[in-house]
Amino acid sequence: MADLALVVRRTIRAPADHLFALWTEPRHLTAWWGPAHVTCPEAQVDLRVGGAYRLANRLPDGSTVWIHGEFLEIERPRRLVYTWVVGDVAVYGAPTRVTVRFEPRPEGAEVVVVHERIADEATRDSHQAGWRGCLEGLQALAEAAG
Amino acid sequence: MFSALAHPTRRALLARLADGPASVTELAAPFAVSLPAISKHISVLEQAGLLQRTQSGRVHTCALDAAPLRDAADFVQRYQVFWTQTLDALAAYAEATAPEPESD
Repeated sequence: MADLALVVRRTIRAPADHLFALWTEPRHLTAWWGPAHVTCPEAQVDLRVGGAYRLANRLPDGSTVWIHGEFLEIERPRRLVYTWVVGDVAVYGAPTRVTVRFEPRPEGAEVVVVHERIADEATRDSHQAGWRGCLEGLQALAEAAG
Repeated sequence: MFSALAHPTRRALLARLADGPASVTELAAPFAVSLPAISKHISVLEQAGLLQRTQSGRVHTCALDAAPLRDAADFVQRYQVFWTQTLDALAAYAEATAPEPESD
């Protein structure tokens, strides 16, 4: 179960450094963060390796779930790696890790989100090696499910 | 687990087991490959935690253990939707706030 990840990509007509700023500055995060019908009334970001972030996710029913974690790698304006915990880890399961890349494209930049589950310390250390397998695996899973 | 799913024969074996447990011989019947080849695929699935094998005399019976698959599908499905919609929101905001591109 260690090799579990998903990748979502989106090309946006805005430069990478602008997107990096939107992704890391609370005044912007509160303006855009979250999926449909979720708002972000509060965001806290300590943008340094080991620094913490907290994002409030207000759900349609009025309840708030905090997504939080700490930064593992920061390469402004191209790449961010951070842990991702939803609410209370004891309730929602093992922590996961998110890698966001902002890759320059002719029309702007492509945002690539890789969201992985962290099975154990060994996985955490060798995550680079696992990515290719994850992508192949995701395809296999999709085919198996289809 | 995902590498275990990467082979079409193994996915076909899992699909068969979704209908209920079967002996190794029964599993091998629809495939034009040798029994040892099927056994090898079964071992891969067993190691991935997707299949449980029990032995009674000379008969090996295989059963699907779908829990890891369900778990993986839940994670992928949940976050696929979450991130797709979140990047939609980012795109709308970013394109509204982006600095004007410099013209050459």
